[in-house]
Amino acid sequence: MRLRAETRREGVLLLLIVLVLFGFSLVIENYLSARLFNRVSASVAILAILAIGQTLVVLTRNIDLSVGSIVGFTAYFVGQQLSLDNDIHPLVAVLMAVGLGAALGAFNGVLVAFCRVPAIIVTLGTLALFRTILVEYSDAQTILTVNLPQWLIDLPRLNVVSYERLHLRVVVAVMLGVAVLFQLLLRYSSFGRRLYAIGSSPEAARNAGFPTRRLVFTAFVLCGALAGLTGFLFLARFGNITVIAGIGQELKSVAAVVVGGINIFGGSGSVLGAVLGASLIDLLENSLIRSLQISEFLRDALLGMLILAAVAVDSVLMRRRRDR
Amino acid sequence: MKFNKLLTLSAVVAALGAGPAHAEVMAEKGKKANLVLVPKFIGILVFDQAHDGAREAHEELGNPGTLEFIGPTPENSVAGQIEIVTTATTQGQDGVMLSNNSGDQIVPAAKAAREKGLTLVTWDSQIPSAEGEQVFVAQVDFDQTGVVMADMALSILGEEGGDFAILSATPDAANQNSWNAAMQNALQEEKYAGLNLVDIVYGDDQSEKSYNQALALIDKYPNMKLIMAPTTVGIVSASKALQDEDLCDQIKVSGLGLPAEMVSYTLNGCAPEFALWSFVDLGYLTYYVTYLIATGQIEGVEGETFNAGRMGTYTIHKDPTRENGLRVLMGPFSVYNKDNVEADAS
Amino acid sequence: MNARMDERGSRSPNPPDPMESSRAGPAPAAARLAAALGARVRSWEGFLAVLLLCIIAMNALTSPSFLTAENQVNLFALSIEKVIVALIMTFVILNAEIDLSVASMMGLSACALGWLVQQGVPMPVAILACLFIGMLGGAFNGFWITVVGLPSLVVTLAMLIGFRGLARVLVEDRSIKEFPAWFEALGQQPLVGPFPLSLIIFFALLVLAVVVLRYSGFGRQVYVIGINLEVARYSGINVARVKMLLFTTSGFLSALAGILFAARLGTVRGDMGLGFELDIITIVLLGGVSIFGGAGSVYGVILSILIVLYLRNGMSLSNITGHLQTGVIGVLLILSAMIPNVRSFLAHVVRPGRLR
Repeated sequence: MRLRAETRREGVLLLLIVLVLFGFSLVIENYLSARLFNRVSASVAILAILAIGQTLVVLTRNIDLSVGSIVGFTAYFVGQQLSLDNDIHPLVAVLMAVGLGAALGAFNGVLVAFCRVPAIIVTLGTLALFRTILVEYSDAQTILTVNLPQWLIDLPRLNVVSYERLHLRVVVAVMLGVAVLFQLLLRYSSFGRRLYAIGSSPEAARNAGFPTRRLVFTAFVLCGALAGLTGFLFLARFGNITVIAGIGQELKSVAAVVVGGINIFGGSGSVLGAVLGASLIDLLENSLIRSLQISEFLRDALLGMLILAAVAVDSVLMRRRRDR
Repeated sequence: MKFNKLLTLSAVVAALGAGPAHAEVMAEKGKKANLVLVPKFIGILVFDQAHDGAREAHEELGNPGTLEFIGPTPENSVAGQIEIVTTATTQGQDGVMLSNNSGDQIVPAAKAAREKGLTLVTWDSQIPSAEGEQVFVAQVDFDQTGVVMADMALSILGEEGGDFAILSATPDAANQNSWNAAMQNALQEEKYAGLNLVDIVYGDDQSEKSYNQALALIDKYPNMKLIMAPTTVGIVSASKALQDEDLCDQIKVSGLGLPAEMVSYTLNGCAPEFALWSFVDLGYLTYYVTYLIATGQIEGVEGETFNAGRMGTYTIHKDPTRENGLRVLMGPFSVYNKDNVEADAS
Repeated sequence: MNARMDERGSRSPNPPDPMESSRAGPAPAAARLAAALGARVRSWEGFLAVLLLCIIAMNALTSPSFLTAENQVNLFALSIEKVIVALIMTFVILNAEIDLSVASMMGLSACALGWLVQQGVPMPVAILACLFIGMLGGAFNGFWITVVGLPSLVVTLAMLIGFRGLARVLVEDRSIKEFPAWFEALGQQPLVGPFPLSLIIFFALLVLAVVVLRYSGFGRQVYVIGINLEVARYSGINVARVKMLLFTTSGFLSALAGILFAARLGTVRGDMGLGFELDIITIVLLGGVSIFGGAGSVYGVILSILIVLYLRNGMSLSNITGHLQTGVIGVLLILSAMIPNVRSFLAHVVRPGRLR
């Protein structure tokens, strides 16, 4: 039953994406091009990975508002290490980002799962705290592209496969890999099913003998790790990292999750939904900013309406399902 | 208050005695003035350089007072600057050196500071209405900046010219707005006839936003040949965006940038030419002006001439680029290209 | 099962207070419950008061200018928009809801004001129009929450983005400053004694908030709904009406704060108040108001307002800048939520069964 509702939701999202593409192709010349795909896919990758992490946490009826600060922190820290030593192996750099992100996520996780502080309070606090530590630690200096190793500067341009002018960037491949991994994990592993169970009913999950605390903790650690990975991609994409890098990403990731049909009160939603939600938001943003006819300033107003519409449609679908 | 009255008194005496022609004032060292240097926001390299310059002057002048470097974070720049100026007033600081990022929103706080006897000198970015500001230390002549930008565009695009767009900082950055206006003004001239400005967009001096705005410009204007970014953050982000898109051979970047940040893009042809001035010198000169006014050695009125240590002699003039306001003009520009960028990058 | 029930019932794996689970009967039981919670909250207020005194003492010792009347007025004036909205946010959170759209509404009303004035609309009309926009926006939130039945977290997140978008549509990336002189004077000059208009409005609203929440039937309804929605329904409270009223008022006061903000700065632009919602919610939560609704008081929030303002002011006077201030307040927020848990945990260990 749940899977069917999710499939339907994902279908609606895909339809919306197609509609947006069609609509803009009418008003923007040369809109449907290889470049649009290259451009938007690379930009989506960053938000999508963050949204996947957020999904894990939201499924357990929690929320992580600190991801923007984690992205900024890891991007800065890894950027600094790479500036100081250009010879750090790429794999080590990635692991450093993921590890740092996981550590920050673990801090959230301990407070939420074991100290029983509501997630919204903890992550509202660490949103400020992580950022503060970054500002103090960095002495408000900026990471400069010129000091970064060449492989990192070239990374955004690197393709896995190319077909004529259509490129599948490495960052997009990484995002797809992460998405598949977590989709499988959530659907087929006992860990994934238990996350859903906690979100549906924490009481029942506890009574069933699930280690709910450990599971919630793990969700936060994974969310942090994915935010760390996002931080690494952020560094590669933007190069110059200031102390406010990634600010506001937390709300964007929550928006992507909500548009993607993940119930904000836990228990239902899919990784694919989160990726589609992120894609829709980013596509809308990238398209509006290009359009000469439609003011780019309409972007946020439209996005707000889109979120409302997505959630309202969703709630109608859910209600009908329940009535049956 | 007493200090204030003294100032007024000395002003009267000076006006009666010396008349409009002022002799060059040599700074008397070792006087005490607690000063605050306020950048647009923290995390931008050029402001750190200005801080270095101010520190150099602070030590050179043997000021027993303090020099604080306090800035807001970029997402909170306006409210943050207002709070910093208000706090400085409360603390009873003697002077504030402000790179204004708040347009005229800073005016109430600046006026309140002036009423309490604080010296308020702007640098890098002025208060557009000049209300609450005593003197603006201008890095270069703002009309001249427009001409330099137009000249760089011309030299990159050549005689036949082409479409170009401006990627600016924040919409309320007074300095960038003045430069953009000056450039549009300069473009009226016959020799720039081929240059066609298609759009002005704002990247808010944030790498991510500037990067995305640059990408959007590329798509919006398929015939665009140049992005002019009069901000050190914007120019680097635009260069990176073009490089990531493999478009450096079709679209160029120019504007105001730091050699250290731009060297690779200049050498690989993404940004063949850009300009800047020394922010260290700007901080140094600003400190001199503020110190002299705050310690009562000059009053900060039109026609005063003073000596600013290693930088030589400067005079306070009416600011020709604004309706009201006084300025001290620093200058000059350095224009960088592949021949000289490496030398200045280190 | 209603989504909002989920929110207050069990968002965290373990509800912070066992008394909150829904075994209480209708109205009288709910009142007893509120009283019991009140006792706990009062001790929380005691803690906040001690903290506040420490901060005041520290500020007074480190900065000679802290205690000057001018500084006291300034430190309020610099954050007055946030603390006005914090008052209504207290009601909203007590009601087990949240309004993330407040700061965007502040921006929208300020920008609408600028836009209207630019179109030549007389100032008083423009102000009234902006207040109306605030009510309309709040009612819009309320509609989706009470009629459609969507969670407030999602609705107001959407409008956080949506209202901000409308503000940007109105002024794009310009800034508007064509306000009449009297309007700016109202925002910047003292009106009565050393107090500007915004402070007077704040104090009036503060008194109103205390009276409504402590002594009116409406205030009790807000608590009961926050403690247990089902109980509230059974005892005949028109839940939808109360929530609608709260969100409309929230929109209205946010718009008012936006207008005051415009008057204080004398200029408006699209990013005004960006991110204020998190500061506002932090103030309310630090004041001991439970994120699950039903527990907390205006007194706690008043103390928390003072703590946040004094802490920020004291740190500013010692030349400690914005981000460190925010970080310290973030830590304070987390600690404040942890302390009751640690205490109940200790009580549990020392004397099992005597948790309350």
